[in-house]
Amino acid sequence: MDSAHTRLHFDYNAPQSLEAGLLALRKSPGAAIIAGGTDLLPSWRGGLIHPTLVIDFKHLGLSYIKAEVNRVRIGAYTTHSQMMVSELLTGYFPALPEACRQIAAPPIRNRGTLGGNLVNASPAADTAPPLMAYDAELVLVKDGSQRVVPLDKFFIGPGETLKQPDELLAEVYIPFCEPNTASKFIKMGNRRAMAIAVASVAVRISLGKAEEVLEARIALGSVAPTPIRAREAESLLVGEKLSEDVISAAAYMAQGEVAPISDIRASKEYRSRMVEVLVKRSLLAARTELKERMTGE
Amino acid sequence: MIKGSELGTSIIGKNATAIGGLEIIKGQARYCADLKIPGTLIGKLLYSKSPSAQVTKLDVSHARNLPGVAAVLTYKDVPGKNSYLYVYDDQPLLVSDIVRYQGDIIAAVAAEDEDAALSALDAIEVEYELLPGVFDPVEAMKPDSPRVWPGKDNITAHIVEEHGDIRAGFDQADIIIDNTYTTQRVEHAFLETESALAYADHDGTLIVYSSTQSPHSDRKQIARALAIPENQVRVMVPFVGGAFGGKMEATIQIHAALLAYKTKRPVRIQRTREESILTHVKRHPMTIHYRTGATKEGLLTAVKFEVISDTGPYINSGEEVLGASITLGYGPYNVPNARAEGFLVLTNNPICGAMRGFGLPQVNFAYEQQMDELAERLGIDPVEIRLRNGMKSGSTLPAGVKVLDGRGMKGTIAEAMRLSKWKDRSLIARQPEAHLRRGRGVGCSLYSTGYGAGVPDSASASLDMAADGSVLLRSGAADMGQGVHTVLAQIAAEMLGVKVSSIKLVTPDTQVTPDAGPSVASRATYVSGNAVIKAALPIRKSLLEVAAQITGLDIDLLSLRDGYLFAEGEELHLTVAGLATKALEKGLQMHAEGYYSVVLPGDYPEDEDPNKTEPFTFATHVAQVIVDIETGDIQVEKYIAVHDPGKMINIGSGLGQIAGGIVQGQGYSLMEELAVEHGYTQNLSLESYLIPTSMDVPEMEIGFVEFPYKYGPMGAKGLGEIPTAPVNAAIANAVANAIGARVRHLPITPECVLDALDKQ
Amino acid sequence: MNKIDLTFTVNGGVRTVATKPHRTLLNVLREDLDLISVKEGCSQGDCGACVVIMDGFAVNSCLVLAPQAQGSEIITLEGLAQNGELHPLQKMFIEKWAFQCGYCTPGILMSCYALLLHNPVPTPDEVKDAISGNLCRCTGYQAIIDAVMAAVAS
Repeated sequence: MDSAHTRLHFDYNAPQSLEAGLLALRKSPGAAIIAGGTDLLPSWRGGLIHPTLVIDFKHLGLSYIKAEVNRVRIGAYTTHSQMMVSELLTGYFPALPEACRQIAAPPIRNRGTLGGNLVNASPAADTAPPLMAYDAELVLVKDGSQRVVPLDKFFIGPGETLKQPDELLAEVYIPFCEPNTASKFIKMGNRRAMAIAVASVAVRISLGKAEEVLEARIALGSVAPTPIRAREAESLLVGEKLSEDVISAAAYMAQGEVAPISDIRASKEYRSRMVEVLVKRSLLAARTELKERMTGE
Repeated sequence: MIKGSELGTSIIGKNATAIGGLEIIKGQARYCADLKIPGTLIGKLLYSKSPSAQVTKLDVSHARNLPGVAAVLTYKDVPGKNSYLYVYDDQPLLVSDIVRYQGDIIAAVAAEDEDAALSALDAIEVEYELLPGVFDPVEAMKPDSPRVWPGKDNITAHIVEEHGDIRAGFDQADIIIDNTYTTQRVEHAFLETESALAYADHDGTLIVYSSTQSPHSDRKQIARALAIPENQVRVMVPFVGGAFGGKMEATIQIHAALLAYKTKRPVRIQRTREESILTHVKRHPMTIHYRTGATKEGLLTAVKFEVISDTGPYINSGEEVLGASITLGYGPYNVPNARAEGFLVLTNNPICGAMRGFGLPQVNFAYEQQMDELAERLGIDPVEIRLRNGMKSGSTLPAGVKVLDGRGMKGTIAEAMRLSKWKDRSLIARQPEAHLRRGRGVGCSLYSTGYGAGVPDSASASLDMAADGSVLLRSGAADMGQGVHTVLAQIAAEMLGVKVSSIKLVTPDTQVTPDAGPSVASRATYVSGNAVIKAALPIRKSLLEVAAQITGLDIDLLSLRDGYLFAEGEELHLTVAGLATKALEKGLQMHAEGYYSVVLPGDYPEDEDPNKTEPFTFATHVAQVIVDIETGDIQVEKYIAVHDPGKMINIGSGLGQIAGGIVQGQGYSLMEELAVEHGYTQNLSLESYLIPTSMDVPEMEIGFVEFPYKYGPMGAKGLGEIPTAPVNAAIANAVANAIGARVRHLPITPECVLDALDKQ
Repeated sequence: MNKIDLTFTVNGGVRTVATKPHRTLLNVLREDLDLISVKEGCSQGDCGACVVIMDGFAVNSCLVLAPQAQGSEIITLEGLAQNGELHPLQKMFIEKWAFQCGYCTPGILMSCYALLLHNPVPTPDEVKDAISGNLCRCTGYQAIIDAVMAAVAS
């Protein structure tokens, strides 16, 4: 007998307190956490997941973007639309709203959340490269404890993360960047809206007094089993001035650090090739922005 | 025939409010799934897991016993013929032994709700023994390849058409260009998936609401499968959410009828998007070997091409599509020596059938790139070379069919040149940035209206005017959004001298509206429009006779417009309603049926014999693209399209059809492809099968030239399909112009562009 | 699984529906409340035919679980016209022939209306972005954008 067609029904619980929710999560091994539902519902419908209970933490005020002294905190239930229009994020972490702007389309952005995007852990997750470039950290809570995990350790494989079934991703920390920083996000897709990334890149460059690179982050999406950092390319940049040659060398190096697959959207050869193009373009764009700032725009 | 210019044209050429438009924008339009009857069962179909297998076990006993399950049907339960009837009856409704593609249907279930229906599907025990299967048409053509049908050649049709002396033609050529072009399988992606609601009426009539292009054809097939008379089946067409050829043939309506018949309850079947992409027909993918010979002045001396078309395991409309490719594959050009050969090949790939353009888009891609390459290599302007070879009135296609009115060729080219400012193209920045290249390309097309020269093509329509001047228009022509209902209402209003708002179109209903044939082949406006005119004539005559009596004026001086009577252009303060009242009092004919046949003999001068000519229509498109030579991305920046509809009866719907066709063509050119591996479709969702979004479309400028066609209703010809055909050519030619390298397969993806650049 | 009581506001009126929790807002609106303007095109959030306005924002109703709509304010196309008077968007859609088969139209009108709620004078590019999640296979989108700009101007 087949089970290709029938789908298990599930119960729904929207707890009024974090404690109640985390307890329910711990006690129900078949539970899934729902936020915007934009990944969960298609997965359920497609027979990929079979929750017996969905728990919705929407009453717990987990939708916020707050500045503290050293960092910004974003609640896991903040939607892409909210991040897109945040002046705080646009001012200090522009690559993130830039990525959110390119996710799907408004109806999806109005429901899809930061937490959902990260936990769903698609290698193509659009918020991952910018957050990785910004050294984001994730707060995972469970009944009785919590831990903080750096984002660049969070992803283990396609759809797999360090988050345990009894944990809730509650919020994301992004530390403020050094003063002379520029960042950029570029996404390539097979059409100009509602497209899963074929390749994506987020870069962040901070320059020192002598215009040398102090900090460099190059985060890539859709070109490996998880979003990744091109660390060798980053090291190439540190201490150097951002000349065309240095940028080209870093871009070429980044291409060698990826492990893309061929799938319905693109071949692995194309993806590799695009890594070099996108890294180069984003670094050049960051350099232009830094120049304009120094010359008073 | 009545010519448009003889009448007032207060309505024709204007923008009448869409019939059904108010319902649509208020959210009240009911499509099949919106029709509700208490006690409706949910019907679901079990599709094959494999593209090529023997069904070794089929046990529905468990499924039948599940709670809430009203029926589980297999091939044993079909009272009549267990097949769809296209031209052939090779495709089973319910498979009895062999599944030949992944969309073959094994069983049909009806249950109280969706969950019970899905449980029933899961409880059906099916076992398959895989059979070898063949998935490459070139392989399938080889004598030792697995047979899709035992004992039958996989080459199911072979067409050859020759004209003149092909050898001599190539001998005369100063230049010969040989290329191979390949096109892909694409999906209609109509927003409303296949849907039907069937139930038995109290008098035993089986009523079927069907999302269809062909109500009368559906009726025939349902009756045939149920072994009941056709007059016991009533097919009605509510709003239809798009079709584009994909609902020309029956999809799930026969199964819904079967389930309703067996359960004696209303049954609804609506395909999920995945099921829809999995099962229904696709556009034929083709491989085209094309050889063009020309003089150094660019005049064609010989054209030879060969088409290999993969139709899947069932023939469907494969022969007709291939026939159209063969006939139209020379383009709108005079070809003195010609040879075209087509192979229709069976495989275990997804079944192919009618899709907007019906074989033209594929060959358009080939012949227009040939012309462009010819122009490049001879140093002739690409538009000039098309003008030199372009057809005119009186030109004949190699197949022997004559172009009665060919003014659209030069006409559309001239207007397209004007709109695109073609002569200023050298002023456009060719390299807007270091990594970007801009280019322009032209694509010309020739298409027909109707089934073709000599093929029986007819429709009936009836009109009824009441004493208050309001009118009932009955036509069996289905409107899937192309706007034919509004056009027919406009024609009726024009003929009867009333406002369009006085016309009420009766929903297509095989029990009430006469057979107009399917809304396909861009024929509905032409054939049904003429039928409406014929139906209007007796009523119009009655009205004018009464008017002549009342006014004492000569009938030839009188005319009707917007609900009033006019004499030599002057309004006489007599209403059409008033005339209608009088006419009915006198017992004059105020109801009539019109039958129009395209190929009725005897009505035409010899050199206009519709058995030897067709209402051909031309189109010229110009695309301007920007190509990123590092990523291969293609942006269609601007797009100009000029068409030749004879007479544009409704501007809104006409321009809309062209715009929609362009964007479908853009999808076909750049991003759409059904990914099939060994008969398994990989992209069964609209997330992985990509059609253009609002962010992808270019700035479009659309125009048309009007050369009223002598035999068209108000001068109109067909318009629905041709807009999508030249798009792939215009874009491919623009890309070639931009990057100096040509891509000869579809879709032209960024990877293809980089490939072409690398090979340079 | 037991049914839950969903109480929410739809087109200005408070409604209560008993439903199993795994059903979506799309199911509830179409099947339980007969708001058939809300169309099913893919059930996956890929096509936008099911877009409605929830608490002021356009959402794919096929991706909202019924219980997630508890206490929310929903607007469907049936609620766009007020007191029988068509909204300027509706009038302009007719005038500019901004629909053909009409199946995507309710979702598109809702996305456009949602845009105007937050941005009463959008640019054509903003309109394009607003409907970028609504697939249309018939019109080529241009007439839709023209209609919205004309509605804004009127």
